[in-house]
Amino acid sequence: MYLGLKEMAHEKLRYTLLTSVLLLIALVVFCLAGLASGLAYGNRQAVDAWQATSIYLNKDANQNLSASQLKLADDKYITGNKVEPIATLSGTLRTKNDGLKTSISALGTARKSFLMPKVTSGHQIDGKNQIIISADIYAKGYRIGDRVRIGTTDKTVKIVGVYAKNTYSIAPTIYTDVTTLNQLRSAPITSGDNQPVNGFVTRRSQFKTDQHGELEKLTITKFIQKLPGYQAQQLTLNTMIYFLFVMALAIIGIFMFILTLQKQALFGVLKVQGIGTKHILAAILTQSMVMAIAGIALGLLITVGLAQVMPAALPFTIDWLQMGIYSAALLVAAVLGALLSWRTIAKIDPVVAIG
Amino acid sequence: MTTPTLSLHQVDKTFGHGRTTVHALKGADFEIYPGQFVAIIGPSGSGKSTFLTIAAGLQTPTNGEIRLNGVPLTSQSEKSRLAYRFNEIGFILQSSNLIPFLTVTEQLRLVDKVARRKFQQEHAQKLLTEFGLTKVSNAYPSELSGGERQRVAIVRALYNHPSVLLADEPTASLDVARSQDVVARLAQEAHQHHKAIIMVTHNQRLIGDCDVVYRIEDGVMSKS
Repeated sequence: MYLGLKEMAHEKLRYTLLTSVLLLIALVVFCLAGLASGLAYGNRQAVDAWQATSIYLNKDANQNLSASQLKLADDKYITGNKVEPIATLSGTLRTKNDGLKTSISALGTARKSFLMPKVTSGHQIDGKNQIIISADIYAKGYRIGDRVRIGTTDKTVKIVGVYAKNTYSIAPTIYTDVTTLNQLRSAPITSGDNQPVNGFVTRRSQFKTDQHGELEKLTITKFIQKLPGYQAQQLTLNTMIYFLFVMALAIIGIFMFILTLQKQALFGVLKVQGIGTKHILAAILTQSMVMAIAGIALGLLITVGLAQVMPAALPFTIDWLQMGIYSAALLVAAVLGALLSWRTIAKIDPVVAIG
Repeated sequence: MTTPTLSLHQVDKTFGHGRTTVHALKGADFEIYPGQFVAIIGPSGSGKSTFLTIAAGLQTPTNGEIRLNGVPLTSQSEKSRLAYRFNEIGFILQSSNLIPFLTVTEQLRLVDKVARRKFQQEHAQKLLTEFGLTKVSNAYPSELSGGERQRVAIVRALYNHPSVLLADEPTASLDVARSQDVVARLAQEAHQHHKAIIMVTHNQRLIGDCDVVYRIEDGVMSKS
Protein backbone atom coordinates (compact mmCIF):
# COMPACT_ATOMS: atom_id res chain seq x y z
CA MET A 1 0.00 0.00 0.00
CA TYR A 2 2.84 2.34 0.96
CA LEU A 3 4.62 1.65 -2.33
CA GLY A 4 1.47 2.14 -4.39
CA LEU A 5 0.45 5.41 -2.78
CA LYS A 6 3.98 6.86 -2.84
CA GLU A 7 4.28 6.09 -6.53
CA MET A 8 0.96 7.79 -7.26
CA ALA A 9 2.05 10.86 -5.31
CA HIS A 10 5.28 10.98 -7.30
CA GLU A 11 3.69 10.31 -10.72
CA LYS A 12 0.69 12.59 -10.35
CA LEU A 13 0.10 13.32 -14.03
CA ARG A 14 0.10 9.68 -15.09
CA TYR A 15 -2.38 8.59 -12.42
CA THR A 16 -4.56 11.69 -12.69
CA LEU A 17 -5.01 11.02 -16.40
CA LEU A 18 -6.08 7.44 -15.81
CA THR A 19 -8.38 8.53 -13.00
CA SER A 20 -10.05 10.99 -15.34
CA VAL A 21 -10.64 8.25 -17.92
CA LEU A 22 -12.29 6.20 -15.18
CA LEU A 23 -14.25 9.28 -14.14
CA LEU A 24 -15.60 9.66 -17.67
CA ILE A 25 -16.61 6.00 -17.81
CA ALA A 26 -18.27 6.24 -14.40
CA LEU A 27 -20.07 9.41 -15.51
CA VAL A 28 -21.47 7.73 -18.62
CA VAL A 29 -22.52 4.70 -16.56
CA PHE A 30 -24.32 6.90 -14.04
CA CYS A 31 -25.99 9.06 -16.70
CA LEU A 32 -27.21 5.99 -18.59
CA ALA A 33 -28.38 4.45 -15.32
CA GLY A 34 -30.21 7.68 -14.49
CA LEU A 35 -31.89 7.66 -17.89
CA ALA A 36 -32.74 3.97 -17.62
CA SER A 37 -34.36 4.39 -14.24
CA GLY A 38 -35.97 7.65 -15.35
CA LEU A 39 -37.54 5.90 -18.33
CA ALA A 40 -38.48 2.87 -16.27
CA TYR A 41 -40.05 5.12 -13.68
CA GLY A 42 -41.90 7.14 -16.29
CA ASN A 43 -43.36 3.95 -17.71
CA ARG A 44 -44.29 2.15 -14.53
CA GLN A 45 -44.71 4.68 -11.74
CA ALA A 46 -48.52 4.47 -11.87
CA VAL A 47 -48.35 0.67 -11.82
CA ASP A 48 -45.92 0.71 -8.88
CA ALA A 49 -48.25 3.05 -7.01
CA TRP A 50 -51.06 0.48 -7.23
CA GLN A 51 -49.08 -1.94 -5.05
CA ALA A 52 -50.96 -4.72 -6.77
CA THR A 53 -49.83 -8.29 -7.43
CA SER A 54 -51.67 -9.26 -10.56
CA ILE A 55 -53.69 -7.97 -13.45
CA TYR A 56 -56.34 -9.64 -15.65
CA LEU A 57 -56.38 -8.81 -19.36
CA ASN A 58 -58.06 -10.09 -22.48
CA LYS A 59 -56.04 -13.14 -23.55
CA ASP A 60 -55.92 -11.88 -27.14
CA ALA A 61 -54.43 -8.52 -26.12
CA ASN A 62 -50.82 -9.69 -26.24
CA GLN A 63 -50.52 -8.70 -22.57
CA ASN A 64 -50.95 -5.06 -23.48
CA LEU A 65 -53.35 -3.04 -21.33
CA SER A 66 -54.55 -0.58 -23.95
CA ALA A 67 -55.18 -3.38 -26.48
CA SER A 68 -57.20 -5.40 -23.96
CA GLN A 69 -60.98 -5.16 -24.22
CA LEU A 70 -63.19 -6.48 -21.45
CA LYS A 71 -66.42 -5.38 -19.88
CA LEU A 72 -67.10 -4.37 -16.33
CA ALA A 73 -69.14 -7.50 -15.70
CA ASP A 74 -66.15 -9.75 -16.46
CA ASP A 75 -65.08 -9.47 -12.83
CA LYS A 76 -67.57 -12.26 -12.23
CA TYR A 77 -64.82 -14.73 -13.23
CA ILE A 78 -62.48 -13.47 -10.51
CA THR A 79 -62.63 -14.04 -6.78
CA GLY A 80 -60.58 -11.99 -4.30
CA ASN A 81 -60.93 -9.13 -1.87
CA LYS A 82 -59.40 -6.36 -3.98
CA VAL A 83 -60.51 -6.56 -7.58
CA GLU A 84 -60.82 -3.23 -9.36
CA PRO A 85 -61.43 -2.31 -13.01
CA ILE A 86 -58.93 -0.21 -14.95
CA ALA A 87 -59.58 1.69 -18.17
CA THR A 88 -57.07 3.79 -20.06
CA LEU A 89 -57.03 6.61 -22.58
CA SER A 90 -53.97 8.46 -23.74
CA GLY A 91 -54.77 11.89 -24.97
CA THR A 92 -54.24 15.60 -24.66
CA LEU A 93 -55.39 17.59 -21.68
CA ARG A 94 -56.55 21.06 -22.69
CA THR A 95 -57.98 23.99 -20.81
CA LYS A 96 -61.27 25.26 -22.21
CA ASN A 97 -59.78 28.04 -24.30
CA ASP A 98 -56.83 25.83 -25.37
CA GLY A 99 -54.45 27.95 -23.30
CA LEU A 100 -52.65 24.86 -21.96
CA LYS A 101 -52.07 21.56 -23.74
CA THR A 102 -50.43 18.52 -22.16
CA SER A 103 -50.07 14.90 -23.23
CA ILE A 104 -51.40 12.68 -20.49
CA SER A 105 -52.34 9.13 -19.62
CA ALA A 106 -55.94 9.06 -18.36
CA LEU A 107 -56.84 6.16 -16.09
CA GLY A 108 -60.33 5.23 -14.96
CA THR A 109 -61.28 3.01 -12.04
CA ALA A 110 -64.01 2.75 -9.42
CA ARG A 111 -64.33 5.87 -7.26
CA LYS A 112 -63.48 4.06 -4.02
CA SER A 113 -60.96 1.73 -5.66
CA PHE A 114 -57.57 1.09 -4.02
CA LEU A 115 -56.11 2.13 -7.36
CA MET A 116 -57.44 5.67 -7.01
CA PRO A 117 -54.57 7.90 -5.77
CA LYS A 118 -55.03 9.81 -2.50
CA VAL A 119 -55.27 13.56 -3.15
CA THR A 120 -52.88 15.90 -1.38
CA SER A 121 -55.09 18.92 -2.03
CA GLY A 122 -58.71 19.24 -3.16
CA HIS A 123 -60.92 16.18 -2.70
CA GLN A 124 -61.42 12.65 -4.06
CA ILE A 125 -63.88 12.13 -6.91
CA ASP A 126 -67.41 12.20 -5.54
CA GLY A 127 -69.55 12.92 -8.58
CA LYS A 128 -69.89 12.86 -12.31
CA ASN A 129 -67.38 14.49 -14.67
CA GLN A 130 -64.68 14.96 -12.08
CA ILE A 131 -60.99 14.20 -12.48
CA ILE A 132 -57.97 14.38 -10.20
CA ILE A 133 -54.56 15.25 -11.59
CA SER A 134 -50.98 14.39 -10.68
CA ALA A 135 -48.58 17.00 -9.32
CA ASP A 136 -46.69 17.02 -12.67
CA ILE A 137 -49.80 18.38 -14.33
CA TYR A 138 -50.46 20.85 -11.54
CA ALA A 139 -46.89 22.11 -12.06
CA LYS A 140 -47.78 22.98 -15.65
CA GLY A 141 -50.42 25.44 -14.47
CA TYR A 142 -53.64 23.44 -14.22
CA ARG A 143 -55.59 24.29 -11.08
CA ILE A 144 -58.37 22.81 -8.97
CA GLY A 145 -61.68 24.08 -10.30
CA ASP A 146 -60.41 24.36 -13.90
CA ARG A 147 -62.74 22.89 -16.50
CA VAL A 148 -60.72 20.88 -19.03
CA ARG A 149 -61.21 18.72 -22.10
CA ILE A 150 -59.43 15.47 -22.90
CA GLY A 151 -59.02 13.94 -26.33
CA THR A 152 -61.22 14.91 -29.21
CA THR A 153 -64.62 15.18 -27.55
CA ASP A 154 -66.11 18.50 -26.58
CA LYS A 155 -67.03 17.14 -23.18
CA THR A 156 -65.58 19.11 -20.31
CA VAL A 157 -64.61 17.72 -16.91
CA LYS A 158 -63.63 19.49 -13.71
CA ILE A 159 -60.37 19.15 -11.80
CA VAL A 160 -61.23 18.50 -8.15
CA GLY A 161 -57.97 17.28 -6.64
CA VAL A 162 -54.23 16.89 -7.00
CA TYR A 163 -52.12 13.85 -5.99
CA ALA A 164 -48.38 13.11 -5.92
CA LYS A 165 -46.25 12.96 -9.09
CA ASN A 166 -47.30 9.96 -11.14
CA THR A 167 -46.68 8.87 -14.71
CA TYR A 168 -47.67 6.03 -17.01
CA SER A 169 -46.19 5.45 -20.49
CA ILE A 170 -43.90 8.46 -19.93
CA ALA A 171 -46.90 10.78 -19.56
CA PRO A 172 -48.31 12.28 -16.36
CA THR A 173 -51.56 10.68 -15.24
CA ILE A 174 -55.04 11.85 -14.43
CA TYR A 175 -57.59 9.61 -12.71
CA THR A 176 -61.35 9.56 -13.06
CA ASP A 177 -64.19 7.07 -12.69
CA VAL A 178 -64.92 4.43 -15.34
CA THR A 179 -68.09 6.11 -16.65
CA THR A 180 -66.44 9.50 -17.12
CA LEU A 181 -63.47 7.89 -18.84
CA ASN A 182 -65.77 5.96 -21.18
CA GLN A 183 -67.57 9.19 -22.05
CA LEU A 184 -64.22 10.88 -22.74
CA ARG A 185 -63.18 8.08 -25.08
CA SER A 186 -66.63 8.03 -26.78
CA ALA A 187 -67.36 4.45 -25.79
CA PRO A 188 -70.63 3.07 -27.19
CA ILE A 189 -71.87 2.10 -23.72
CA THR A 190 -71.07 4.42 -20.82
CA SER A 191 -73.11 3.02 -18.00
CA GLY A 192 -73.94 -0.26 -16.34
CA ASP A 193 -72.07 -3.57 -16.30
CA ASN A 194 -71.58 -3.80 -20.03
CA GLN A 195 -69.42 -0.72 -20.39
CA PRO A 196 -65.89 -1.47 -21.60
CA VAL A 197 -62.80 -1.59 -19.38
CA ASN A 198 -59.25 -2.66 -20.22
CA GLY A 199 -58.50 -4.92 -17.32
CA PHE A 200 -58.82 -5.72 -13.62
CA VAL A 201 -56.10 -5.07 -11.11
CA THR A 202 -55.99 -7.06 -7.89
CA ARG A 203 -54.02 -7.51 -4.71
CA ARG A 204 -55.03 -11.10 -3.98
CA SER A 205 -57.29 -13.07 -6.24
CA GLN A 206 -57.75 -16.04 -8.51
CA PHE A 207 -60.14 -17.28 -11.17
CA LYS A 208 -63.30 -18.75 -9.69
CA THR A 209 -63.29 -21.75 -12.04
CA ASP A 210 -61.44 -23.06 -15.05
CA GLN A 211 -64.06 -21.32 -17.18
CA HIS A 212 -62.93 -17.71 -17.29
CA GLY A 213 -64.11 -16.35 -20.61
CA GLU A 214 -61.54 -14.32 -22.47
CA LEU A 215 -59.49 -13.38 -19.40
CA GLU A 216 -55.90 -14.23 -18.62
CA LYS A 217 -54.03 -13.54 -15.41
CA LEU A 218 -50.61 -11.82 -15.35
CA THR A 219 -48.32 -10.97 -12.47
CA ILE A 220 -47.61 -7.26 -12.19
CA THR A 221 -43.89 -7.96 -12.75
CA LYS A 222 -44.67 -9.67 -16.06
CA PHE A 223 -47.10 -6.89 -16.94
CA ILE A 224 -44.40 -4.23 -16.40
CA GLN A 225 -41.98 -6.16 -18.60
CA LYS A 226 -44.65 -6.15 -21.28
CA LEU A 227 -45.35 -2.40 -21.11
CA PRO A 228 -44.88 -1.13 -24.68
CA GLY A 229 -41.21 -0.23 -25.27
CA TYR A 230 -40.23 -0.92 -21.66
CA GLN A 231 -37.97 -3.90 -22.25
CA ALA A 232 -36.44 -2.46 -25.42
CA GLN A 233 -35.44 0.73 -23.61
CA GLN A 234 -34.12 -1.03 -20.54
CA LEU A 235 -32.20 -3.66 -22.51
CA THR A 236 -30.59 -1.05 -24.75
CA LEU A 237 -29.43 1.14 -21.89
CA ASN A 238 -28.40 -1.75 -19.66
CA THR A 239 -26.38 -3.37 -22.44
CA MET A 240 -24.49 -0.11 -22.86
CA ILE A 241 -23.85 0.00 -19.12
CA TYR A 242 -22.57 -3.59 -19.08
CA PHE A 243 -20.22 -2.81 -21.95
CA LEU A 244 -18.84 0.10 -19.97
CA PHE A 245 -17.94 -2.24 -17.10
CA VAL A 246 -15.94 -4.33 -19.56
CA MET A 247 -14.30 -1.16 -20.87
CA ALA A 248 -13.34 -0.05 -17.36
CA LEU A 249 -11.83 -3.48 -16.75
CA ALA A 250 -9.95 -3.39 -20.05
CA ILE A 251 -8.62 0.14 -19.58
CA ILE A 252 -7.32 -0.50 -16.06
CA GLY A 253 -6.05 -3.91 -17.13
CA ILE A 254 -4.15 -2.65 -20.17
CA PHE A 255 -2.78 0.41 -18.43
CA MET A 256 -1.59 -1.51 -15.37
CA PHE A 257 -0.13 -4.21 -17.60
CA ILE A 258 1.93 -1.69 -19.60
CA LEU A 259 3.13 -0.05 -16.38
CA THR A 260 4.08 -3.47 -15.04
CA LEU A 261 6.10 -4.25 -18.16
CA GLN A 262 7.84 -0.88 -17.82
CA LYS A 263 8.66 -1.55 -14.19
CA GLN A 264 9.86 -5.15 -14.58
CA ALA A 265 13.46 -4.23 -13.73
CA LEU A 266 12.35 -2.37 -10.61
CA PHE A 267 10.12 -5.25 -9.53
CA GLY A 268 13.09 -7.58 -10.08
CA VAL A 269 15.17 -5.47 -7.71
CA LEU A 270 12.36 -5.50 -5.14
CA LYS A 271 12.21 -9.28 -5.33
CA VAL A 272 15.99 -9.51 -4.86
CA GLN A 273 15.53 -7.49 -1.69
CA GLY A 274 12.89 -9.91 -0.47
CA ILE A 275 9.88 -7.75 -1.29
CA GLY A 276 7.79 -10.25 -3.21
CA THR A 277 4.84 -10.60 -5.55
CA LYS A 278 2.39 -10.11 -2.69
CA HIS A 279 3.64 -6.61 -1.95
CA ILE A 280 3.97 -5.60 -5.59
CA LEU A 281 0.45 -6.82 -6.36
CA ALA A 282 -0.89 -5.03 -3.28
CA ALA A 283 0.67 -1.79 -4.58
CA ILE A 284 -1.02 -2.19 -7.97
CA LEU A 285 -4.36 -3.10 -6.41
CA THR A 286 -4.12 -0.08 -4.12
CA GLN A 287 -3.48 2.16 -7.08
CA SER A 288 -6.36 0.86 -9.16
CA MET A 289 -8.74 1.02 -6.20
CA VAL A 290 -7.73 4.58 -5.33
CA MET A 291 -8.21 5.63 -8.94
CA ALA A 292 -11.53 3.81 -9.24
CA ILE A 293 -12.89 5.22 -5.97
CA ALA A 294 -11.83 8.75 -6.91
CA GLY A 295 -13.31 8.38 -10.40
CA ILE A 296 -16.56 6.90 -9.10
CA ALA A 297 -16.98 9.52 -6.35
CA LEU A 298 -16.37 12.41 -8.76
CA GLY A 299 -18.61 10.75 -11.35
CA LEU A 300 -21.45 10.49 -8.81
CA LEU A 301 -20.95 14.10 -7.75
CA ILE A 302 -21.09 15.34 -11.33
CA THR A 303 -24.13 13.15 -12.07
CA VAL A 304 -26.00 14.63 -9.11
CA GLY A 305 -25.00 18.11 -10.32
CA LEU A 306 -26.13 17.36 -13.88
CA ALA A 307 -29.46 16.07 -12.61
CA GLN A 308 -30.14 19.53 -11.14
CA VAL A 309 -29.64 21.33 -14.45
CA MET A 310 -31.19 18.78 -16.79
CA PRO A 311 -34.35 19.85 -18.62
CA ALA A 312 -37.46 18.52 -16.89
CA ALA A 313 -38.52 16.82 -20.13
CA LEU A 314 -35.58 14.41 -19.81
CA PRO A 315 -36.64 11.39 -17.77
CA PHE A 316 -33.79 11.15 -15.29
CA THR A 317 -34.00 9.54 -11.86
CA ILE A 318 -31.17 8.74 -9.47
CA ASP A 319 -31.83 5.39 -7.87
CA TRP A 320 -29.24 5.30 -5.08
CA LEU A 321 -29.39 1.54 -4.58
CA GLN A 322 -28.69 1.02 -8.27
CA MET A 323 -25.95 3.68 -8.32
CA GLY A 324 -24.39 1.86 -5.36
CA ILE A 325 -24.49 -1.45 -7.20
CA TYR A 326 -22.99 0.08 -10.35
CA SER A 327 -20.26 1.82 -8.29
CA ALA A 328 -19.37 -1.51 -6.71
CA ALA A 329 -19.34 -3.14 -10.15
CA LEU A 330 -16.95 -0.48 -11.48
CA LEU A 331 -14.70 -0.99 -8.47
CA VAL A 332 -14.73 -4.75 -9.04
CA ALA A 333 -13.91 -4.17 -12.73
CA ALA A 334 -10.92 -2.01 -11.73
CA VAL A 335 -9.67 -4.64 -9.28
CA LEU A 336 -10.08 -7.42 -11.85
CA GLY A 337 -8.26 -5.27 -14.41
CA ALA A 338 -5.33 -4.84 -12.03
CA LEU A 339 -5.30 -8.58 -11.28
CA LEU A 340 -4.65 -9.25 -14.98
CA SER A 341 -1.01 -8.31 -14.31
CA TRP A 342 -0.70 -10.89 -11.53
CA ARG A 343 0.91 -13.60 -13.66
CA THR A 344 3.34 -11.16 -15.21
CA ILE A 345 4.44 -9.94 -11.79
CA ALA A 346 4.71 -13.45 -10.39
CA LYS A 347 6.85 -14.52 -13.36
CA ILE A 348 9.40 -11.73 -13.01
CA ASP A 349 12.66 -13.54 -12.15
CA PRO A 350 14.78 -11.63 -9.63
CA VAL A 351 17.89 -13.26 -11.10
CA VAL A 352 17.70 -10.88 -14.08
CA ALA A 353 18.31 -7.99 -11.70
CA ILE A 354 21.77 -9.45 -10.98
CA GLY A 355 24.44 -9.47 -13.66
CA MET B 1 36.84 -20.54 15.82
CA THR B 2 33.23 -19.34 15.71
CA THR B 3 30.59 -20.50 13.24
CA PRO B 4 30.84 -18.87 9.83
CA THR B 5 28.06 -16.41 9.04
CA LEU B 6 27.63 -17.91 5.62
CA SER B 7 29.24 -21.03 4.25
CA LEU B 8 29.02 -22.98 1.00
CA HIS B 9 30.20 -26.57 1.00
CA GLN B 10 30.91 -28.41 -2.26
CA VAL B 11 28.29 -26.42 -4.14
CA ASP B 12 27.65 -27.32 -7.78
CA LYS B 13 25.40 -25.46 -10.11
CA THR B 14 24.72 -26.72 -13.60
CA PHE B 15 22.41 -25.37 -16.25
CA GLY B 16 21.01 -27.40 -19.15
CA HIS B 17 21.32 -31.11 -19.94
CA GLY B 18 23.62 -33.43 -21.91
CA ARG B 19 25.96 -31.79 -24.41
CA THR B 20 24.77 -28.29 -23.59
CA THR B 21 25.40 -28.61 -19.85
CA VAL B 22 27.09 -25.57 -18.36
CA HIS B 23 28.92 -25.98 -15.05
CA ALA B 24 28.58 -22.52 -13.57
CA LEU B 25 29.96 -23.59 -10.20
CA LYS B 26 32.05 -26.70 -9.52
CA GLY B 27 32.51 -27.86 -5.95
CA ALA B 28 32.65 -24.40 -4.53
CA ASP B 29 33.74 -24.03 -0.90
CA PHE B 30 33.34 -20.70 0.79
CA GLU B 31 33.03 -19.22 4.24
CA ILE B 32 32.79 -15.81 5.82
CA TYR B 33 32.86 -14.79 9.47
CA PRO B 34 31.47 -11.73 11.24
CA GLY B 35 33.75 -8.72 10.81
CA GLN B 36 35.24 -10.04 7.58
CA PHE B 37 35.34 -8.18 4.30
CA VAL B 38 35.68 -10.80 1.57
CA ALA B 39 36.26 -10.16 -2.12
CA ILE B 40 35.34 -12.51 -4.90
CA ILE B 41 37.22 -11.64 -8.02
CA GLY B 42 37.05 -13.06 -11.49
CA PRO B 43 36.48 -12.19 -15.12
CA SER B 44 32.97 -11.89 -16.49
CA GLY B 45 31.31 -15.23 -17.14
CA SER B 46 33.41 -16.92 -14.48
CA GLY B 47 30.50 -17.80 -12.21
CA LYS B 48 30.47 -14.72 -9.96
CA SER B 49 26.82 -13.99 -10.60
CA THR B 50 25.86 -17.60 -10.04
CA PHE B 51 27.68 -17.55 -6.72
CA LEU B 52 25.74 -14.43 -5.73
CA THR B 53 22.34 -15.76 -6.76
CA ILE B 54 22.94 -18.97 -4.82
CA ALA B 55 24.25 -17.19 -1.73
CA ALA B 56 21.22 -14.92 -1.89
CA GLY B 57 18.76 -17.77 -2.22
CA LEU B 58 17.64 -16.62 -5.66
CA GLN B 59 18.60 -20.02 -7.05
CA THR B 60 19.01 -23.42 -5.45
CA PRO B 61 22.29 -25.29 -5.94
CA THR B 62 22.35 -28.53 -7.92
CA ASN B 63 24.50 -30.16 -5.23
CA GLY B 64 26.10 -29.10 -1.99
CA GLU B 65 25.01 -27.26 1.11
CA ILE B 66 24.61 -23.67 2.22
CA ARG B 67 24.54 -22.72 5.87
CA LEU B 68 23.62 -19.43 7.42
CA ASN B 69 24.94 -19.05 10.97
CA GLY B 70 25.38 -22.81 10.97
CA VAL B 71 21.79 -23.58 10.00
CA PRO B 72 21.36 -25.35 6.65
CA LEU B 73 19.03 -23.56 4.27
CA THR B 74 17.10 -26.73 3.60
CA SER B 75 13.70 -25.18 3.30
CA GLN B 76 13.85 -23.84 -0.19
CA SER B 77 10.31 -22.75 -0.96
CA GLU B 78 10.08 -19.46 -2.84
CA LYS B 79 8.31 -17.92 0.15
CA SER B 80 11.02 -18.81 2.66
CA ARG B 81 13.78 -17.77 0.26
CA LEU B 82 12.01 -14.42 -0.07
CA ALA B 83 11.92 -14.06 3.73
CA TYR B 84 15.58 -15.14 3.89
CA ARG B 85 16.58 -12.41 1.44
CA PHE B 86 14.50 -9.82 3.21
CA ASN B 87 15.73 -10.63 6.72
CA GLU B 88 19.27 -11.95 6.33
CA ILE B 89 20.73 -10.47 3.17
CA GLY B 90 21.59 -6.87 2.40
CA PHE B 91 21.99 -6.28 -1.31
CA ILE B 92 24.03 -3.67 -3.08
CA LEU B 93 23.64 -4.00 -6.84
CA GLN B 94 25.81 -2.71 -9.70
CA SER B 95 23.85 0.36 -10.52
CA SER B 96 21.30 1.83 -8.22
CA ASN B 97 18.85 -0.58 -6.65
CA LEU B 98 16.86 2.31 -5.27
CA ILE B 99 13.19 2.90 -5.96
CA PRO B 100 12.87 6.01 -8.16
CA PHE B 101 9.70 7.36 -6.55
CA LEU B 102 10.84 7.14 -2.92
CA THR B 103 13.07 9.65 -1.14
CA VAL B 104 16.15 8.44 0.72
CA THR B 105 14.26 8.26 4.03
CA GLU B 106 11.27 6.61 2.37
CA GLN B 107 13.51 3.84 0.96
CA LEU B 108 14.25 2.91 4.58
CA ARG B 109 10.67 3.43 5.72
CA LEU B 110 9.55 0.91 3.06
CA VAL B 111 11.64 -1.78 4.80
CA ASP B 112 9.72 -1.18 8.02
CA LYS B 113 6.40 -1.14 6.17
CA VAL B 114 7.13 -4.52 4.62
CA ALA B 115 8.26 -5.84 8.01
CA ARG B 116 5.06 -4.39 9.55
CA ARG B 117 6.76 -2.34 12.25
CA LYS B 118 7.25 1.30 13.16
CA PHE B 119 9.83 3.42 11.37
CA GLN B 120 13.18 3.10 13.18
CA GLN B 121 13.92 6.81 13.19
CA GLU B 122 17.08 6.70 15.34
CA HIS B 123 18.61 3.79 13.47
CA ALA B 124 17.96 5.53 10.15
CA GLN B 125 19.39 8.79 11.45
CA LYS B 126 22.53 7.06 12.69
CA LEU B 127 23.18 5.32 9.38
CA LEU B 128 22.49 8.42 7.29
CA THR B 129 24.83 10.47 9.46
CA GLU B 130 27.53 7.80 9.29
CA PHE B 131 27.39 7.80 5.49
CA GLY B 132 27.14 11.60 5.19
CA LEU B 133 23.64 11.56 3.75
CA THR B 134 21.65 13.68 6.22
CA LYS B 135 21.50 16.61 3.80
CA VAL B 136 19.95 14.52 1.05
CA SER B 137 17.59 12.49 3.22
CA ASN B 138 14.54 13.96 1.50
CA ALA B 139 15.92 13.79 -2.04
CA TYR B 140 14.79 11.37 -4.72
CA PRO B 141 17.41 9.03 -6.28
CA SER B 142 17.38 11.06 -9.52
CA GLU B 143 18.56 14.10 -7.54
CA LEU B 144 21.61 12.31 -6.12
CA SER B 145 25.12 11.86 -7.52
CA GLY B 146 26.33 8.36 -8.41
CA GLY B 147 28.42 8.13 -5.25
CA GLU B 148 25.55 9.27 -3.07
CA ARG B 149 23.26 6.73 -4.71
CA GLN B 150 25.64 3.86 -3.89
CA ARG B 151 26.01 5.13 -0.34
CA VAL B 152 22.20 5.19 0.00
CA ALA B 153 22.17 1.64 -1.39
CA ILE B 154 24.62 0.59 1.34
CA VAL B 155 22.49 2.28 4.02
CA ARG B 156 19.39 0.61 2.58
CA ALA B 157 21.19 -2.77 2.67
CA LEU B 158 22.41 -2.28 6.26
CA TYR B 159 19.11 -0.90 7.56
CA ASN B 160 17.40 -4.25 8.13
CA HIS B 161 20.33 -5.64 10.23
CA PRO B 162 21.27 -8.35 7.73
CA SER B 163 23.64 -11.22 8.59
CA VAL B 164 25.46 -10.81 5.31
CA LEU B 165 25.94 -7.92 2.93
CA LEU B 166 26.27 -8.89 -0.73
CA ALA B 167 27.77 -6.23 -2.96
CA ASP B 168 27.65 -6.99 -6.68
CA GLU B 169 30.17 -4.77 -8.50
CA PRO B 170 29.16 -1.88 -6.22
CA THR B 171 31.54 0.50 -7.97
CA ALA B 172 30.72 -0.36 -11.58
CA SER B 173 29.21 3.03 -12.32
CA LEU B 174 31.65 5.15 -10.29
CA ASP B 175 34.99 6.84 -10.99
CA VAL B 176 38.19 5.76 -9.20
CA ALA B 177 38.01 8.19 -6.27
CA ARG B 178 34.36 7.42 -5.55
CA SER B 179 34.97 3.69 -5.98
CA GLN B 180 37.70 3.77 -3.37
CA ASP B 181 35.46 5.73 -1.03
CA VAL B 182 32.63 3.19 -1.33
CA VAL B 183 34.98 0.24 -0.80
CA ALA B 184 36.62 1.95 2.17
CA ARG B 185 33.20 2.46 3.73
CA LEU B 186 32.33 -1.22 3.22
CA ALA B 187 35.60 -2.24 4.85
CA GLN B 188 34.94 0.13 7.74
CA GLU B 189 31.45 -1.27 8.20
CA ALA B 190 32.81 -4.83 8.36
CA HIS B 191 35.66 -4.06 10.74
CA GLN B 192 34.01 -1.54 13.05
CA HIS B 193 30.48 -2.94 13.18
CA HIS B 194 31.40 -6.57 12.87
CA LYS B 195 29.46 -7.24 9.67
CA ALA B 196 30.10 -9.99 7.16
CA ILE B 197 30.46 -8.36 3.77
CA ILE B 198 31.03 -10.08 0.43
CA MET B 199 32.04 -7.94 -2.53
CA VAL B 200 32.02 -9.35 -6.03
CA THR B 201 34.20 -7.44 -8.47
CA HIS B 202 36.43 -7.80 -11.50
CA ASN B 203 38.60 -4.84 -10.46
CA GLN B 204 41.94 -5.91 -8.94
CA ARG B 205 42.67 -2.45 -7.61
CA LEU B 206 39.76 -2.48 -5.17
CA ILE B 207 40.74 -5.50 -3.11
CA GLY B 208 43.38 -3.84 -0.98
CA ASP B 209 41.05 -3.47 2.02
CA CYS B 210 39.76 -7.04 1.86
CA ASP B 211 40.61 -9.65 4.50
CA VAL B 212 40.15 -12.66 2.26
CA VAL B 213 40.13 -12.83 -1.52
CA TYR B 214 38.56 -15.68 -3.50
CA ARG B 215 39.33 -16.08 -7.15
CA ILE B 216 36.83 -17.68 -9.44
CA GLU B 217 37.49 -18.92 -12.93
CA ASP B 218 35.36 -21.24 -15.07
CA GLY B 219 33.23 -22.03 -12.06
CA VAL B 220 36.11 -23.07 -9.84
CA MET B 221 36.61 -21.07 -6.65
CA SER B 222 39.97 -20.82 -4.93
CA LYS B 223 41.15 -18.89 -1.90
CA SER B 224 44.22 -16.78 -2.60
